[in-house]
Amino acid sequence: MSTSPAVIEEEPTKGQRLWQAGPAAWNEAITRPAVMIPFFALAAVTPLALQYLEDNSSWIGAQFWTTILANCAMYACLAISLNLVVGYAGLLNLGFIAFFGIGSYAYALVASDQLHQHYPLWAALLVVVLVTLAFALLVGVPALRLRGDYLAIVTLGFGLIMRDLILDLDRPPVLAGHQFGPSDLNLTGGTNGIHQVDPLKLPTSLPLLGNVAHFLMYYWIFLALLAIFVFCMLRWRHTRTGRAWVAIREDELAARAMGVNTFKYRLLAFTVSAVMAGIVGMIDAAFIFNAFPGNFDVQQTVMVFIMVILGGLGSIPGAMLGAIAFTVPPFLLQQFVFIKYLIISLVLIAVMVFRPEGLLGTVSIRPRRTMGGTLELFSEEAASEASLRTGGNAADLESTTGAIVPESDPEPSI
Amino acid sequence: MTEPESILQIRGLSCRFGGLMAVEKLDLEIGKGQIVSLVGPNGAGKTTVFNLVSGILKPTAGSIELLGRELVGEPSHRITRLGVARTFQNIRVFPQLTVRENILLGTHHWTRSGMLGSVTFWPSARRAERAAGAEVERAIELFRERLGPRLDDPAFSLSYANRRRTEIARALAARPKLLLLDEPAAGMNPYERVEMAGLIRSMRDQGLTIFLIEHHMPLVMEISDRVIVMDHGIKIAEGLPKEVHSNPKVVEAYLGRRAARA
Amino acid sequence: MEYFLQNFPQQLVNGLETGSLYALIALGYTLIYGILEMLNFAHGDVFMVGGFLAAGVTAVLVHGGVSFVPGVFLVLLMMAFAMGGTGLLGVGIERVAYRPLRNANRLAPLITAIGVSLFLESLVQVFVSPAPVGLPTNAFIPQAALRFGNVETPLTGVLLFVVSVALMVGLDLFVFRTRFGSAMRATAQDREAATFMGIDVDRVIMVTFFAASALAGMGGVLYGLRFATVNFFMGYLLGIKAFTAAVIGGIGNLRGAMLGGLLLGVLESLAGGFISTEFQDAFAFLALIVVLLIRPQGLFGQPLGDRA
Repeated sequence: MSTSPAVIEEEPTKGQRLWQAGPAAWNEAITRPAVMIPFFALAAVTPLALQYLEDNSSWIGAQFWTTILANCAMYACLAISLNLVVGYAGLLNLGFIAFFGIGSYAYALVASDQLHQHYPLWAALLVVVLVTLAFALLVGVPALRLRGDYLAIVTLGFGLIMRDLILDLDRPPVLAGHQFGPSDLNLTGGTNGIHQVDPLKLPTSLPLLGNVAHFLMYYWIFLALLAIFVFCMLRWRHTRTGRAWVAIREDELAARAMGVNTFKYRLLAFTVSAVMAGIVGMIDAAFIFNAFPGNFDVQQTVMVFIMVILGGLGSIPGAMLGAIAFTVPPFLLQQFVFIKYLIISLVLIAVMVFRPEGLLGTVSIRPRRTMGGTLELFSEEAASEASLRTGGNAADLESTTGAIVPESDPEPSI
Repeated sequence: MTEPESILQIRGLSCRFGGLMAVEKLDLEIGKGQIVSLVGPNGAGKTTVFNLVSGILKPTAGSIELLGRELVGEPSHRITRLGVARTFQNIRVFPQLTVRENILLGTHHWTRSGMLGSVTFWPSARRAERAAGAEVERAIELFRERLGPRLDDPAFSLSYANRRRTEIARALAARPKLLLLDEPAAGMNPYERVEMAGLIRSMRDQGLTIFLIEHHMPLVMEISDRVIVMDHGIKIAEGLPKEVHSNPKVVEAYLGRRAARA
Repeated sequence: MEYFLQNFPQQLVNGLETGSLYALIALGYTLIYGILEMLNFAHGDVFMVGGFLAAGVTAVLVHGGVSFVPGVFLVLLMMAFAMGGTGLLGVGIERVAYRPLRNANRLAPLITAIGVSLFLESLVQVFVSPAPVGLPTNAFIPQAALRFGNVETPLTGVLLFVVSVALMVGLDLFVFRTRFGSAMRATAQDREAATFMGIDVDRVIMVTFFAASALAGMGGVLYGLRFATVNFFMGYLLGIKAFTAAVIGGIGNLRGAMLGGLLLGVLESLAGGFISTEFQDAFAFLALIVVLLIRPQGLFGQPLGDRA
């Protein structure tokens, strides 16, 4: 039976060349430890190498480049976090950058003279994580019950409200004529932000290297954070959690039928991504000694989006590539900075129209036809919507909840 | 002859969509270790019954009990945890996941390995992953030749029949007590159908109870212990395959009144 | 209580004014959602472009506080220019950015939409002005205010309300009483079936985008006339509020969008006047969350499937 000629099978994909094998295989290949470890080691050593090659006082000095690299690493961390919520879980979190901002302000409040608190490193980290988590749950729990497009708008609104809140909390809030708090209450510094934020309480000199410059230290911190994020994402992807996320993204109904609590996993992705962004915000505030309301700008969310989209949704190396693509050129082409967002938005539109999968993306965005019709049709929402619309015919109903593939032998043999 | 212990009891089940009664006052019972087939012309409400049992749809009336436990009102993921697994008429494997990962997903509800555990290589998490991996090997026992060489291929690259097998293996990996198969032989040629019949019998022999929707009558007649016929949402006949086969109401439902009289 | 009763009518009138603006833009949102099942994030920015087009007309025809053209004529010209311009803009956006993804994953056009939104904002910010641009309305609009008791509103406010309502009624008639309108409704209910009925779906979608964008453009003109200023960022916040209004009324439902807009305007005005002006915007967002939690289908929408 297994050798009968009537059985038509497809050739297994083993033995294909790597470049033929498709984005999933490329991602797997790039994220092997054999590639990742040397990559991070090289990245860590690069500034030291630059120091020997470049004159420190010139414009194209090691400091300049290291600062660019530090920014790059920071955005790579953000891109990976966004990739988690959008690429893996399929949730359009348009208020994403608000969590970055929340992290930066939360740290600034416990590590500056704004509230005269100066927490040590681990306490500050705990505060940042808890505060970001709280906001993520506040937004996530109600919003994740909604459909994708509603979630997008709600998170967009959240980002906007947070920005307004940050701008308005340099004075005590006044509701219905009642003032809440003393008149000199200034939580967020309004449009100026919070200044003189403490750097992270870490040693400033290392064995063998002596005194480490501020920008170099923070480049390494961001790089280490990136390595941790990448490690976590890879571990999750290859275990139960990541499989559940991809399943939900690919076919939510089937995932539920297989016992996956889709709400819980969506919430997990949303909150973890938010907390990751918050931690990045904390380090950024420590790096530049400031927390600015500009951290909440929607343009920043769009920027991280374009990094993820260009690199490819669902791809970890893609997110890193996207980050490089959009941090290095703007720094080099300073004269174009005022049309930066113009170019970025155009690139986003172009990528979505011509190649929505980006470079290494594994999420299928383009219209997809399966054996029986687009997968979209088979969600329960579509079925109940369709039933409400057609309202009548049983055959229509069966056709939207089930048989688009024609049956092989409709008539019984009598 | 003693009655087999009942696994699934459906009483008075009704499901209405706007003005249409997709399923009307259905009573049904499936005993442990049986293979029961649900048949009927297109639009009879069969897949709706499956959707109701697996929790995708909510009935407007009636009850569904699995080993005495009420399923109505439970979300689908909890129903799976209670012991019901299913396949879909138009095969819903996860395209971007490999065959192995698809089957691993079947183990999701009974393995415990969380986010923290996987990142820290916690022993309990590692044990859970190993157990899941072992289950994959067990689940593909029946498909060893076909799926074995393709375990690491993405599901979208598979042929139709292999996708069907993957979906069944995935459902098996969920260690269900009751397996719902929605048109498992659809789109298959005669050789594959024979294979499928043997497969279903093997699964029953391993202790599963199987509830299946199928259009291919010879297959239904061959493997079913009991056959239930639906038309326009109502059960019109039930019994042994031979009895149902010659029931005039059944013939009428499929072929019209003239054929029934003939 | 005295304070409340004294100020209530004024706040109500203010609320109706801003509400009619929200309703105009909400209509556009709901029209596009009804026909394509997509939330056009760039819609608020189309409104903004309308405002700038109107400002552009005044920049050409008004110099030194003197208008070269009679006031009424100038206003009509602004309206025609803005509506036509934004209508074409909307059609262009649909053709270039949304049509290629029409059958793709539901979330794909949303991502493109934020790109379009940012693009429009940057375009105006870079090539027109990053700072707010004023309109010399006192050159061609009588600055008198109308008074009823202790309620006062400028002429432009009344104009805003009246024109908005007129347009809404016009749209309602168009969609529910004309042949093309029924083609639109058919396409909104079932796009595939509409093609089987001989409806040119591409054309319907094009006209829908034109109408929705023209309405938003008109909103921009009316805003510019009423507040005498436009800035590149004004579409963003207003867009979200208009979306809230559309959701309150029931997304996809035209009359719901109109009512939702007016309702939101009034509620917001009352909240702003009596609770806090600073956090006024937050109230709109709060309203959105409450509606989505308690009655996601809005006032007039059909119940959505349970997503437990």
